[in-house]
Amino acid sequence: MKGSMQKESQLVFWLFLLPALFAFIMVMVIPFFMGAFYAFTNWSSSAKLDGGLKFIGLKNFIDSFKDPAFIYSFGLTGVYTLLSMVTVNLIAFALALLVTSKLKLKNIYRAGFFIPNLIGGLILGYIWQFIFNNAIPALGKVIPFLSALADPQNLMLSKNTTAIIAMVIVSTWQYAGYIMMIYIAAIENVPEELHEAAKIDGANSWMRLRMITLPMVAQAFTVTMFLTLVFSFKQFDVNVSLTSGGPSTMLMNKPILGTELLALNIYNTAFISNNLAMGQARAVIFFIVLAIISLIQVYVNKKKEIEL
Amino acid sequence: MKKLVLALMAVLAVVALTACGGQKSGKTLTLMQNKPEIDAQLKAYAAEWGKKNNVTVVIKSIGGTSGGMGPQLKADYAAGDMPDIFAFDGLEAYKEWEGVILDLSNEPWVSKTSVAFKYNGKVYGFPVAVEGWGMAYNADLLAKAGIDPKTLNNYEAYKAAFEKLNAMKKELGIDSVVSMAASVEMGWVTAHHNFNSLLSNGLPYGDLSVVNDLLAGKVDEQRLSEYADWVELLFKYADKTVLLTGNYDAQVGAFAAGKAVFLHQGNWVDPNMKTANVTFKMAFAPHGSMKQVTDGIFVAAPSFYAINKDSKNLALAKKFLNDFVETPEGNNYMVKEALMIPAFSNITLNPEGQLSKSVQEWASAGKVYSWNQYYFTGDFRDKILTPIYNQFAAGKISKSQFVALMKKAFEENAKK
Repeated sequence: MKGSMQKESQLVFWLFLLPALFAFIMVMVIPFFMGAFYAFTNWSSSAKLDGGLKFIGLKNFIDSFKDPAFIYSFGLTGVYTLLSMVTVNLIAFALALLVTSKLKLKNIYRAGFFIPNLIGGLILGYIWQFIFNNAIPALGKVIPFLSALADPQNLMLSKNTTAIIAMVIVSTWQYAGYIMMIYIAAIENVPEELHEAAKIDGANSWMRLRMITLPMVAQAFTVTMFLTLVFSFKQFDVNVSLTSGGPSTMLMNKPILGTELLALNIYNTAFISNNLAMGQARAVIFFIVLAIISLIQVYVNKKKEIEL
Repeated sequence: MKKLVLALMAVLAVVALTACGGQKSGKTLTLMQNKPEIDAQLKAYAAEWGKKNNVTVVIKSIGGTSGGMGPQLKADYAAGDMPDIFAFDGLEAYKEWEGVILDLSNEPWVSKTSVAFKYNGKVYGFPVAVEGWGMAYNADLLAKAGIDPKTLNNYEAYKAAFEKLNAMKKELGIDSVVSMAASVEMGWVTAHHNFNSLLSNGLPYGDLSVVNDLLAGKVDEQRLSEYADWVELLFKYADKTVLLTGNYDAQVGAFAAGKAVFLHQGNWVDPNMKTANVTFKMAFAPHGSMKQVTDGIFVAAPSFYAINKDSKNLALAKKFLNDFVETPEGNNYMVKEALMIPAFSNITLNPEGQLSKSVQEWASAGKVYSWNQYYFTGDFRDKILTPIYNQFAAGKISKSQFVALMKKAFEENAKK
């Protein structure tokens, strides 16, 4: 009798899991392995008269690493991820501290900081393109003190170095509110007694932040670091709409797109260069690298949690 | 409990199966095209046509550079859901879809056009329209500056005119002489359209000698260096903000607002001019990419409709294309609604836009040069050439470096 009850509850468990599992297998697992397979072929998903699918071994992977644009995208994505992880987390944490303090209208601020996250990245990119190209120079023309902003030489999107900074600004604006919410939850979970006790012992607010709040929210850091790392590494939509990969720059005496992050490089390889199989190979590399980096990150962050 | 679970399972299975099956009631004809600017007009026409022919016509419009429609078409192909009719832009795209494109050589409209897409003597593409580009000029501003647009037909003439106009900036109320865009996003202006000056300017219509030489890695240095002078001239007298960061709206808007005398675009900007309520006179002048006189602009069919060989509605698809040419409604749609220049000789309607009229005038005078940029891959134009133009526009490389990089690009392309 007991055994059949257990069997039944197991069955129910699997049945409840089934819809999600079905969707997961259909749209994640199967395409993942099909994609990994295509990476080793000359697949083009078009009606070319070239004799169909052929197995070509590691050629797509080797050619990818010979392409300066791909190498450049790799390095650039690393730099971009680092920059945006730092700025998003710093600003999100500062905002979270702000809206958990005794502030009037703090709920309105919370909602306000969160709203940019609800706007799609593509639209955001076009809005900020307008801000960088039109609004900021217009400001420079009106205010004499800021006249340098009106100089076309100083447009942020006209140079690849500053265009990357512009992307960091936009993604910070987009994600800081979201990450802030996670920090708020963590900060509000810090027991008030600890702060009170520390206050009685004469700790000022900086010391309380450093010795109480920061260690107590270490768990949140694991989550936020992971999220920002993955978001930034996979950045695509803002990249497309804000810069389209431009302006150009030179690498190894070859002009290449100067702000083309990995995801955009994969897309361009697949659909502009019409080389879907090589795009797929790059996507596999992308997956492996991102998986390794994020595993390391979670491991390091978790260690900090345990030490407390 | 068990029964409840089973019932849930059954419901789930039914939902999943029907969702996968999709609806197959009534006939549908699907057309995928790459001109979002005519999307509304085409949809309206197709709805009317569908009613008469008892079929639902689905129009999918996806625009942009060579990456625009391609991904969607490939996704649909992989999913076994190819449209019945789809647009393609030239030889490279044709080769991509060679296996499914139907031979249209025996269609009645073939004899009425000279710009259908042909390959190995057979017709595979229905020309959507005729389009042209040159240097669009603001005739009022040129008259004010005392420059006769008829004299603008080689490098020296343009150089003198640009210098004169540049000196009169305040009087004319302009920001710059030319409205030119060279950002990566606008790579289709530099690496597609402007690039074509190198390939076909001054040559007989359809002459592929320069294209074939360049594809083989043989570079005519004289032609390339004259072309580089022309590119430098355009970049030098362009508004730097528009040049380096402007998008289509910024580039066309500067011309429409009278802030630039010339615009490096084609007659597809007519609808934009209409919405901007432009009142000044405008027309096209030839490109000045050579020392010799090149008296003509670049005119061709920008894209073609192909019929999917595996379509279940072949007869309907053929009729849909033919009715553009043979019925007054079809003619009216092409010329009056979509504001296109028709590619067929039997159509008597004339387009309203000033620049479209100008293209028609050049074409009827026979002063036209071909579009040869499609003989180079999208990869070569968008990923190799676009950054070179962008570097030159930003002043990061000199003219001689530009020439050297272009030469190297052709040589490396030939080795692939």
